[in-house]
Formats: sequence, C-alpha cells, structure tokens
Amino acid sequence: MPKQSTRIDDLLASVTADLLDGDPQRFQDNSIRVERILLELVRPDPVQPRRVLPERIHFAFHQNRLTPTQALRELVQIVQVAARQRGRPFSSVLELLPRSDDDSEETPDVQLSPEEQLLRDLINLAVTIRDDGQVNPLSVVDVSQGVTRLYRIETGERRYWANWLLRDFIPGYDGDGMIPCIVVPSERSSVFRQAKENTARAGLSAIAMARQAALLLLAIHDYEIPDGPVSNDFYRQALELDLRGKREYTDVVLAAMGGVGKMRFSQIKSLLRLSDEALELADRHNLDERKLRPVLLLDPGVHAEIIRQIIDFKLTSKQVQELCEADETDQQESEEPNDIPTSALRIAKVAQAATAPSPHDVARALIKRTGDVDLARVRLRAIQKLLADAEQYLTE
Amino acid sequence: MTRVFVLTNHKGGVGKSTSATNIAFGLTAVLRRAGASNSRVLLVDTDSQGHATLVTTGRNNYGADDSLYTVLMADRQAAPQVLANCIVPSTWDENLHVLPASPMLEGAERELIGVAGAPYRLADPLSRIANQYAAVVIDTRPSFSLMTEMGLLAATDAIVPVEPRYLETVGLMSVINKINEVREGWRHPNLRISGILITKLDMRVRGHKHLLEELQSHSILGKLICGVIPANEAVSYAHHNHQSIFAYDPQCPASKAYAQLVGQLVRQMAKAGA
Repeated sequence: MPKQSTRIDDLLASVTADLLDGDPQRFQDNSIRVERILLELVRPDPVQPRRVLPERIHFAFHQNRLTPTQALRELVQIVQVAARQRGRPFSSVLELLPRSDDDSEETPDVQLSPEEQLLRDLINLAVTIRDDGQVNPLSVVDVSQGVTRLYRIETGERRYWANWLLRDFIPGYDGDGMIPCIVVPSERSSVFRQAKENTARAGLSAIAMARQAALLLLAIHDYEIPDGPVSNDFYRQALELDLRGKREYTDVVLAAMGGVGKMRFSQIKSLLRLSDEALELADRHNLDERKLRPVLLLDPGVHAEIIRQIIDFKLTSKQVQELCEADETDQQESEEPNDIPTSALRIAKVAQAATAPSPHDVARALIKRTGDVDLARVRLRAIQKLLADAEQYLTE
Repeated sequence: MTRVFVLTNHKGGVGKSTSATNIAFGLTAVLRRAGASNSRVLLVDTDSQGHATLVTTGRNNYGADDSLYTVLMADRQAAPQVLANCIVPSTWDENLHVLPASPMLEGAERELIGVAGAPYRLADPLSRIANQYAAVVIDTRPSFSLMTEMGLLAATDAIVPVEPRYLETVGLMSVINKINEVREGWRHPNLRISGILITKLDMRVRGHKHLLEELQSHSILGKLICGVIPANEAVSYAHHNHQSIFAYDPQCPASKAYAQLVGQLVRQMAKAGA
C-alpha cells in the first residue's frame, strides 16, 4: 500500500509541477477574503462576551434546542407580552419602529424594555439592510469539519440576527439567503482579536467586558475555550487568575480590553462575583460598572434585588453606594450569633407603639435620613418586603 | 466563481460516471498538492443508477431524506440548507464530498413535471453553497431528461465524454446542440462546452483510430477535444474495488490520461481566477 500511494504521489507530482510552472505560490491564498455565505452556514460564537439575545434564548439556541427563526420568534413573543402590558400591542414587528408622522412615540417618558429596545434596533437594522443593502460584512472564522460547513461569527452578530429577521419576519425580502462575510483564516483568529473588535465598538456592557476580561485571562492561562455555550461559572474561573503570573501578556491583554489599566481590569473582572440573576439583569439593562461595584460588598443572595432597585429607581452610582453601605452595616450587625440585630428591634418597637406615626411623617423622615426621594422609595420598598417576609415567618 | 463541470452525453456507457468521479478526485488531489487554500470538490450524482455514489461512498441506498432527491423536493427557501445537510464524505479523500443520488430520482422527474421552476431545483441551491468548494463535478444520467437539464443549468462547463465509435460520434452533435439550446434557450450564458473527452480509445481498433483522426481534423470538434482516455481494464477493476483509477493503478495509461486532463482543468481554473 505505501508503494502504491508513493506512485500516486509521483503521478500527481508530475501534473502539479507542470501546473505550478516555477511559481509555487500560485494556488496559495491565505488572504482575508469577502464571500457571500449561506445564512444557515453561519453561527454566532456561543462564548462571545457580548450577548445579543436574552440569556434564556441564548442558551436554548446554542444548545440547538431552537433554530434561528424559533429563537427570534421567542424574542418577538417576549416583546409582544411586554408591549401588551404597557398598552402598546402590535401584530407586525414593523409596528415597533417609530412612525415618522407620530411624534408621541418619541416622547421621553416612553420607556422600552431591553427586549423591546433590542428588537426595535434589530428591526431597524434589518429594514436598513433591506432598503440599502448590507454595507459592512460580518467577520467569520471557518470552523468547518469534514462535510459540515460552518462559519463562526467573530463580529457582526446583530447583523446576523437582523438578516434572519429580514428573511423570516419582515415583508418585502427578496434576497437569496446569503450574507456577505469576511472570512478570517482560523489560524488568524484569537480571543485577542475578538476582544479588540469588541472593545473598539461602543455599547459593550460592563458584564460583557467582565466576560471579555475572563476569556482573555483564561486564554493566557491555557484554559480550553469550549465550542458550546458556557455558564457564568466558566467565566468565574478567571476570578482565581490574574495578570501577575503572565507578565508577558499584560500589555496585550490590557490593550485588547481597550487600553484599560491593571486596576480597572481587576474591577471589571470582579463583576463576575455577582450572582447569576444579577449578572443577567445588569447585562440586559447595560448597567455601568461603577453602579455594580458597591453591590459586590453584599451577600450574593441580595445582589439581584439590589440590581432590580437600581434599575427600577434609576439610582446613580452615589446612591447605590449609600444603599449598599447601609445594607452592609445591617448585614454585619445581623452576623452576631443568637443576637437580634438592633435594626430588627427598632422595627419591632415601632410595631408595638400605641400610636403609629403618620405616613407623611414617615416619608419626611425617610427623605431626611437618605437625603434622596429615590433612595427613600427604595428603603420603603425594602421594608414592605421585609414585613411581608416576617409575616410569612409568623404564619409558618 | 466556482467552476461547475457537468459530464453529459445521452448515450449510455461512454464513461460519464468514471470520468466524473476520477476528475473530481483528481481535482482535489492536484489542488491540495499545489497548496490551494481550498481543495474541496463536490461530486453531484444526478443519475438514479447511483454508480458514482456507489464507488465514491461505498453505498447506493440513499433515499428520501439524505440524497439529491431530498434537495429537489425541498421547500425553495430551505433547499440550500437541505443540500448542505445531504452532502456526505467520500471514502476516497476527505476533501472529496458527494451529494448522493437515489433510486427515487427516477420518480422525481414525474413528480416535478409541471412544478414552476423545476429545472432550477438543483442550480438554485447549489449556487448558494458552490463557493464553499474549489470545484463541483456533476454526473448526469444517459438521457435528455429533466434531471440532465437541471445538471446543465447548474453548470459552468460541460464535458462530453464520447467513445470513438461511429454512432456515438454521430450523436455528438446532438449533445452539443442540446448544450447550446440550454445556453441560449434557458438564458444560461455562463455554460460553455469545456471539451470533448474521448474515452475507451483502443488504438489497435482501426475504427477507433480512424474516428479519432476524423474528429481531430474537424474544424470545430477537433479544437474541443480536451483529453483522450485509453481503454483500460484497470478502470473496471478500480470500480470493482470502489477506488479511483489513481489509487487502483497510478501507472496505468488511464491514470496518466486522467491526470493530464485534470492538470488541464486546474490550469484553466487558475487562469480564470487570476
């Protein structure tokens, strides 16, 4: 058999030598090229720090439980429910776009949920692609194996989803199901390149930045980056890692993160200490790192509740800091074993009082103590929840 | 643009499947040796007999869910993805992929008659994935059927294998006319006759020699001859062993002739791409 394969080689070599005609580079082309690729052959990167779809859909899609069309249908359904609750039902996704003749849509008090905003942005992009064509190609890496052709998106996931929306949800599509892509040879692809592309663009959330930092740390410490979707615990492995052990990579990692300093890098990475629910909320609502930093001081069990309050009351980073420092004091007090915290005793005393204070006085007192109406409302809501929970204990 | 070679002749037994499979394998092997960044070649078998499928994949029992038939019956929008899903690896080379035929293709023609756009049911989805390959080679059935028209409409280059026998050469003009008809009538200007491939030539047979000389001296057909494959028992044995002629006997005359032909095709591809 080896003899035979040598003979094939000899035969092919004679043809090839003739073909190359003294120019050995003639057929070699490792340049980055733009190609039109069938939409179905392109897939978003499951480990990409910047997540476009809500977490539940993101995981279902990357675990192949949803097709791209089904994933978008789920998103549309979420938005439909949210829109109906807000009294703005729609039957066609195009109705989400602001009408040029209707100024009321753009009034500042109309607050869109993150999902509504996401779908609206994607539809806007899809309509632009439909009307003007896709100007910027996606960048993809050829990850084909055998007969299975597959390209993994490096940048341009929003354009990918916009193309699916256009194809399956928006009338008037007359394309051929192809999408222009810059095909990056797999040997040129790296987490550093992807990080640079990500950080060079605006709108990367603090949580996405934290995931990005984690990916870079994991990569330089030779952790294997999986092909499928990963949980937050995968990124949290980076909490145990730092740049000190890999000084030769420090500059390139910080540059890939957009030129941040070591301290800032560490602050961003620390966000991964937030609980899963808090991470999802913070990512979805694009909360700033400075607002999230104080939350890390608290017990993970209350992270999500605090994040909700930050979102609901639009707290500033200063307000979040005050809120969290006060909560931290309460937590420290309650850590005394077999001892009822002073704050709890105070509430019990108020409950026992023969004459309850007037609501007006309570409101004034709260504002006086917190110095802020929003913070006062946060405190009041916390007490409401606390009293409800306490009543539950009594019932049990 | 990816070159799509179709091997066609309405006469049976002229070496269409043999040539299609060996050209496909030769292209991928030569491109790889030349260091091409993409040396993948797709072999599309449109002949319900599935001979090309059998020798390159080791089986010919593909059916309603995993063959060209599946592609032809698929929803128009889903067809490119269905086609990509139906492609299987060959046993000859990791970069030679096969879209297998199925005995069900026999009935497909009947099922598709009267269906709008039926002749484009291969060309349309194939055009969406062709750029994944350095070249595509289509084997057709021995008739001027809807399936053959589909192959021609999907192709950029037609190669006409022909045996050097009187009746075969007489029929040659009707094949060429058919190709021209598809190019003009179906407005498919990209289709060109890439060459006439003389197969099974036995120089000991006086008639073969005479007809070859006649063809070579013909003002038009002579220029179209792209290769001469000698009659060679090794081809049959290679089929029997499900091997390419290059793997079965690299030094036999047929191997050398196919290597010459493949070299010529690759040179054309390189010239067109330059």
